[in-house]
Formats: sequence, structure tokens, C-alpha cells
Amino acid sequence: MNKKISLLVDCAEAGYCCDKKQYNEASFLEKIKILLHLAICKPCRKYASNSTKLTKLIEKSDLKSCPEEEKKIWKETIEKEISK
Amino acid sequence: MSINKIDPTKWVDKYSDYLFNYTITRVNDRELANDLISETFLAGLKSMKNFKGEASERTWLISILKRKIIDQYRKINSNKGRAEVKIKYKEDSNDGDWLEEQAPDRFDKTAEDIMENEELGLAILNCMESLPEKQAKIFKMKTIDGFDTETICNEFNITPSNLWVIIHRARTTLAQCLEKNWF
Repeated sequence: MNKKISLLVDCAEAGYCCDKKQYNEASFLEKIKILLHLAICKPCRKYASNSTKLTKLIEKSDLKSCPEEEKKIWKETIEKEISK
Repeated sequence: MSINKIDPTKWVDKYSDYLFNYTITRVNDRELANDLISETFLAGLKSMKNFKGEASERTWLISILKRKIIDQYRKINSNKGRAEVKIKYKEDSNDGDWLEEQAPDRFDKTAEDIMENEELGLAILNCMESLPEKQAKIFKMKTIDGFDTETICNEFNITPSNLWVIIHRARTTLAQCLEKNWF
């Protein structure tokens, strides 16, 4: 029925579109899909709102990631110490 | 009571981000934080026999790290009163390094906000520990380091749709975990 322009998507696809939106990578079409799907699906509305919250929390927490080179050095030191 | 086992080979992968964020909010200097963490790992290795398994590995490492940080504060304090001329920034031409350190505190942030944000950060990392290793790694790269999709796909040799599946799983787990512990 709706094969030509499938704007009505299932929850799985809506979920992926929602995630993309969180990283500002959703296309215009995907945004419309989200809107249409959220209008008819309560669980996905909840997922979308939680996902937005998660993004905000991560932004707020200002997490820093530990540099990878440093991790490598630590790993090597630990392995050396163990094998002693 | 379950007894926690100790496995130093996993320390870096499992806890280094947690330890790093814990330290950086307290010493505010990346290099110093790195030094303190590496000392912590070494001290941990030395006193592994004393680990009774009553606390989790991470709690135990944090308790060692705390001592190291306090020692560091003491060191700074004992240097006070001595004449100190800092010309570090003019000497080496490491621009980029100093920008972060010299920026003024933000006025709209109170001490409470900062404390809350730190706890929040640790809570998020805590939840991330429950993710499978690969998921956690990809999620961190995408969300915290802000790499673009293509770079991550190339690194892990996966397709973009694989990536979004992984991200979706990670986000679902994290949102549930934080809902329990934070929202």
C-alpha cells in the first residue's frame, strides 16, 4: 500500500532515525518519518524523550575521554610488571 | 557476600576513563592526572595481595587514587611560601596547552553545579561499564569524542547501519540505567 513513499515506518527504523537526530545526522526525510511515527506510537515517544535527555546529560557532564596513547602506555607498564 | 576478583590486565580498558574523569575534576591538569593514574595502577599492582575482594575493583583503585591526589595537594601546599616565578607559558611555545588552563571560570556555574556535573559524569561512566566492550568503545568515540560516522566505520570495519544498531543498543541500555539512577 505504502510502498512507493514509505513514510510510515516501524519502531525499529524510527529508533535509528531518532538516534541519528541526536547526532544531527538525520536527513529531512528521516525527520519527517520520526514525526509521523511519534504521532502514533507512545513507546517510541518515550524512547525519543529519554534519548534527548541522555544527550543533554552527557553534554552537561562534560566528560573527557582519556587519551588512547596514554592507555597503551599504561597497559604495557602493567603487563611488564605482571610478567616480572 | 560475593568476592570480587582482581584482574590487572583489564584495568586500563575498564576503569581508565572513570579514573581519568575523577582525577581531572580534582587536579585540573591532564598531564598530572595521567601521572597520578599511572602511579595508582603501579601501587595497585604492588598491593594486589591486600585486595580482599570486599569492595569492587574500581572502588579499591579509587581509594588508592584518592591517597595519591591528597599527597599531590600536600606537595603543592608545602611549596607555598617559597618564591615562585612562573614563566612557563612564555618559555615553551606549546600554545594550545595553556588555553584550557588559563580560561576563566564560568560565572554562571556555581560550585554545586560543578559537583553535580562531576557526579553525573561518573554515573554515566558507571552505566557504561555495563555495556559490552565494543559497544562502549564505539559509543564513546561517537558521543564523547565526536568522531564522524565514517571514521568509526573505517576503524572498526563495519557499515553505517551496523554502527547505528550498536549506537541504538548502547543508548537504550544507558537510558535505562540512568533512568534508574539519575533522571
